[in-house]
Amino acid sequence: MDSARQFRHIGKGTPRKDGRQIVTGGTKYIDDLTLPGLLYGKVLRSPHPHALIKNIDTAKAEQAAGVKAVLTHKNAPDWKFGIPRVVALLDKKVRYAGDAVAILAAESEELALAALELIEVEYEVLPAVYDIDDAMAEGAPVLYEEFPCNLLPTQSIAFGPNTLKEVILGDVERGFAEADVICEANTSYDNIPNPLPIEPPGVIARWDSPDELTVWSASQSVGWHRFMMMGKMGFPEIRSIGTQCGGSFGSKNHSPQPFFYAAALAKVSGAPVKMLYTKEEHFGAFVLRLGSRFSGKIGLKRDGTITAIEGEWLVDTGAFSDQAQTQIAVGLGEVQLVLRCPNWRLIPKLVCTNRAPSGIVRGFGGQELESSILPVFMEAISKAGLDPVDFLKKNFVKPGEGYLWREGNWWVSRGQDYSEAVEEGAKTFGWDEKWKGWLTPSSVNGRKRRGIGVGVHGNADVGEDESEAYVRLTPDGGAVIHANVAESGMGQRSSLIKMVAETLNLPLEKVSMTEPDTLVAPFEFGLTGSRGTWAVGTAVIRAAEEALKKLHEIAAPILKAKAEDLESADGKIRIKGSESQTLSWRRALGVFHTVTGHGSFEPDYSMPNFMMLFVEVEVDTGTGQVSVERVVAATDAGQIIDPPSLEGQIYGALGAAGLDTAVFEETVIDRRTGRNLNMNLIDYKWRTFEELPAFDNVILENPLPSHRFGAIGIGEISTSPGPAAVLMAVSNALGTRLTSYPLSPEKILAAVKSAGEVE
Amino acid sequence: MKYFSHQNVTSAKEGVSCAKDCNGKASFIAGGTDLLGILKDNLLPTYPEKLINLKTIEALAGVENLDGVVRIGALTKLSALERDLEITRNFPALASAAASVATPEIRNAATLGGNLCQDTRCWYYRYPNHMGGRMDCPRKGSGPCHAVLGDNRYHSVVDGKRCFAPCPSDTAVALAALGATVEVLGIEGAKNLPIEEIYSPMGTVLKAEEILTHIDIPAPPPESIQGFKKFTVRKPIDFAIVSIAAKVNITNGIVDGANIFFGAVAPQPYRDEAVESALIGEKFDTKSIAKAAGQALVKAKPLSMNAYKIDIARTLTVELLESFII
Amino acid sequence: MSYERSNWIKFHVNGDCREFAIGARPGELPPSETLADTLRERLGLTGTKVGCDRGSCCSCTVLINGVPSLSCMTLTVECDGASVTTIEGLPDPATGELDPLQQAFIDHTAYQCGFCTPGMIIAAKALLTEVSSPTEEEIKVALGGHYCRCISHYHVLDAVADAAGRKR
Repeated sequence: MDSARQFRHIGKGTPRKDGRQIVTGGTKYIDDLTLPGLLYGKVLRSPHPHALIKNIDTAKAEQAAGVKAVLTHKNAPDWKFGIPRVVALLDKKVRYAGDAVAILAAESEELALAALELIEVEYEVLPAVYDIDDAMAEGAPVLYEEFPCNLLPTQSIAFGPNTLKEVILGDVERGFAEADVICEANTSYDNIPNPLPIEPPGVIARWDSPDELTVWSASQSVGWHRFMMMGKMGFPEIRSIGTQCGGSFGSKNHSPQPFFYAAALAKVSGAPVKMLYTKEEHFGAFVLRLGSRFSGKIGLKRDGTITAIEGEWLVDTGAFSDQAQTQIAVGLGEVQLVLRCPNWRLIPKLVCTNRAPSGIVRGFGGQELESSILPVFMEAISKAGLDPVDFLKKNFVKPGEGYLWREGNWWVSRGQDYSEAVEEGAKTFGWDEKWKGWLTPSSVNGRKRRGIGVGVHGNADVGEDESEAYVRLTPDGGAVIHANVAESGMGQRSSLIKMVAETLNLPLEKVSMTEPDTLVAPFEFGLTGSRGTWAVGTAVIRAAEEALKKLHEIAAPILKAKAEDLESADGKIRIKGSESQTLSWRRALGVFHTVTGHGSFEPDYSMPNFMMLFVEVEVDTGTGQVSVERVVAATDAGQIIDPPSLEGQIYGALGAAGLDTAVFEETVIDRRTGRNLNMNLIDYKWRTFEELPAFDNVILENPLPSHRFGAIGIGEISTSPGPAAVLMAVSNALGTRLTSYPLSPEKILAAVKSAGEVE
Repeated sequence: MKYFSHQNVTSAKEGVSCAKDCNGKASFIAGGTDLLGILKDNLLPTYPEKLINLKTIEALAGVENLDGVVRIGALTKLSALERDLEITRNFPALASAAASVATPEIRNAATLGGNLCQDTRCWYYRYPNHMGGRMDCPRKGSGPCHAVLGDNRYHSVVDGKRCFAPCPSDTAVALAALGATVEVLGIEGAKNLPIEEIYSPMGTVLKAEEILTHIDIPAPPPESIQGFKKFTVRKPIDFAIVSIAAKVNITNGIVDGANIFFGAVAPQPYRDEAVESALIGEKFDTKSIAKAAGQALVKAKPLSMNAYKIDIARTLTVELLESFII
Repeated sequence: MSYERSNWIKFHVNGDCREFAIGARPGELPPSETLADTLRERLGLTGTKVGCDRGSCCSCTVLINGVPSLSCMTLTVECDGASVTTIEGLPDPATGELDPLQQAFIDHTAYQCGFCTPGMIIAAKALLTEVSSPTEEEIKVALGGHYCRCISHYHVLDAVADAAGRKR
């Protein structure tokens, strides 16, 4: 780490502001909140993956003890969500096993559950589709009349009129003509894992008047429950308040279904309603990763230059698209960041199927696309006889090179060359010593074979979207940040406080931040795409700078100096470089005044970040077990704000539907009944303390032109390089190419057998 | 959870008569780690009106050595079992099986009797009611076995009949290899039966008012070697994909007795006579072990997705038996 | 539904004696209520977190008579006479001083979202009470069932080892 820059707080590991609350159990998550007269919402869910509700009788439920509101498609508010906006709050059609049929609110959870059993439903069962190909086939059952062959539009206006819906660049025919190696493949990353934060989603809604709604929720981006929902509900005034969020990984940016259910039940009952999903609902009716398949061909020169990429990117969104089109746009941008190529023809198709919907998950389209397309590249690189680290290092975007980004514009990177980070990472991992060539294990010990692999991911969304903040200086030498920032595990609230404390030269304990609340703070898009460090950071830093400037302007006449000649430390102002005269903020402001600065950030997609993950696995050829032994993550953060928080973001590579989606994570849908079979923490596999690989972080700190601290965020991308890296490592360990996720014991044993037969 | 009433009992006899009085509308609760999940998910068409708490029967918790037979009370916690000196010294296969169950927190609550009597982990059977309704199947009294044509990666490869859910108990496999019997108290009094006989393809054969009270294990001959191995994707929390328990007697280097049982492959701990007979009479070495392991589950009739379990069983056989070679 | 004569149960939570009438009538504690719900809903001790409510994530771990136990899989009615310790009970009640484990978690930022943290601290507390200087392997086994999706594991291992060292 670079120690040339000396900061008071930045770069040092400091306790999180919410630390004491967390370790004493004082932190309030959504289920820890209650309100007077609170009702509890519950959902009746469909047994069928695809059916029409022929008849629904709620009379008995309405009469049941403690029940205050019952809603079905017949009487629910006409609120719709999804892209396009076709997903009704409650519909007369159900599109996955577990889809909502009716909702009700009662005085207790027990009463609500008892009343659900009294609702009588008659279904007309329709045939269902679970697979991308089946869904697009002629005569396939159609989920939405509006979308023949279950093809949803890939176009959206989410990022403006030119939102990226395909990558068409250069001349692919010429590109293939120039290629030395051409590989054609059909590779999938379609095990639709679940990001599965420990806390299930939950929303409390209360109508303060017919047009004024207050919601409390576990959200990663609290503003979304205002600006993403108002238009879908006829523009009521919405105040969104965030509680501590028990993990999100994208999935709880917003929670449209629980939000709508709580808001609708609260409206009808006239009382506040809490809609907290059970873990099973979290598994089976909330947010899965997109299914993804690449079907096409790629061309390479012997030196590793990519000459052409052509194909279809088939995206399976499940029962409806929440953010699939935006993820497609970002995925199309990200794939260009890691696979530099002049000639592209990559066309996505977006397909809906009869399983629970996909939504936002860390990696946001890019992980899905790269995990499908990188295995094809592995085949091509191995045919070209190239080392994968060299190939990937050569092919991510360097400063001065360009790419189409999500909103359709061409951007030129003014960021970092991550080659140095890659080289450092390779050295720490011992890549050169362990690399024995393609489909060659790095070591063999009886049944146990080791192999290594590598993956890379990049993202230019670190500078996405808008942020605003106020910083208010108080006479006691303190500062309050008014910003709508949630705490969902990134430590971002504490990191922003550090940035402001550093800017104002105050001790950390003198800086605080308002609780996330759209009423209290100005516009904030939220903590998406790792934008917290640069985008939100810029807004709070500028607000602090402006506030300090105003304060110095007030102090200047008193100190008989120019404002620009003043500096401030620990709540005292003095002339720069002078030791003698200081003026306390209290004296400058007076006891009954504060001074407030405003800061903002505008989107800037010119600084892509990258992360490379090196992985060593051990494969037991007798049991089919894949064990991840070692991981090295290599990146450049520009400047580390808080070392443990940043390390945590990188360790997160293992969880949240990341690297482990190549090892054991998957959602198992029964192809005959549409039922999700592993909606529990035993059958859905997750990494435990007893299977922790050795994990080293190589984080360089070459300052970036972001803000005064030269930092950018990287948490979004840590999960993404893992799956393809593991696939490569296991393929090398076994000496046979594996192309499907996850690498379950049965797949490994089958591969061992077929390799044996070939030998 | 839906309402049920609750009664503590202080003897097994009281428990049986209490259950009888409830006419099948009561369930016994021991550690509760399986039962409460079943009730929360509302898995079964019937829901108990009352839980009869067996944990208050002090006499049924603990391990005692009775003249060559070790008697374990069914209410003995798994965490106690894995640490008990008598068990770790003389029945390491059982100690190891107990320690392999779930997580420390679960083992602090779960009892040996409960581990033996727990319900199946079949993921069709376990489909939670509030996610669109429970899935009926032969074990629940109606409907087809979804696993036969469905995703049966974790199901039985042998001896399934109408229901293909394997016995999930790890301790049952170890106890079977150790030749244990269980004592069951019912209305007509107590009976003893070999551990593997309490299982049928449709679950345990215990009646609603019967209580498994004790587990008796004969002292192993001094020259015997025993052990247990379990294959799971992760070390904690997972149920076995395949497990094996073995007790082998070796005299002058020659195997003269072998108990080989596999777990998670059949509705009961599966005695593999083919492996046993391949070992008996042979010199105990890597060669004979490899040959015997090749016989593992030869009678299996795997379903569409679970033949891989046979490979794993053979690997575990080699691994466990080779660990016996001093 | 059977209405039985009310029975009273009594147990200690963080040193305070708590009594409840058991039954189905309003105000009574139903026998079907879990300890997690009693702690959170009746006693306001929301530091105990319910993640899966099926005993598979360990976030609801509390000490019952010193033993790490899953409060979501424990019936409150069966806690009669027990002594329960929750995360709220770890700091010194007189001074508010944190348990060395809690302080170590803060010092190592051994959490991200923090939801699983109380359960981990409780389980680690029991471990350090039993084994004063556990090996890394022993810590991993003791926390083996604790679900953390953020991957705070590496920092947690440091924090527990550090707390063990401080205790010595």
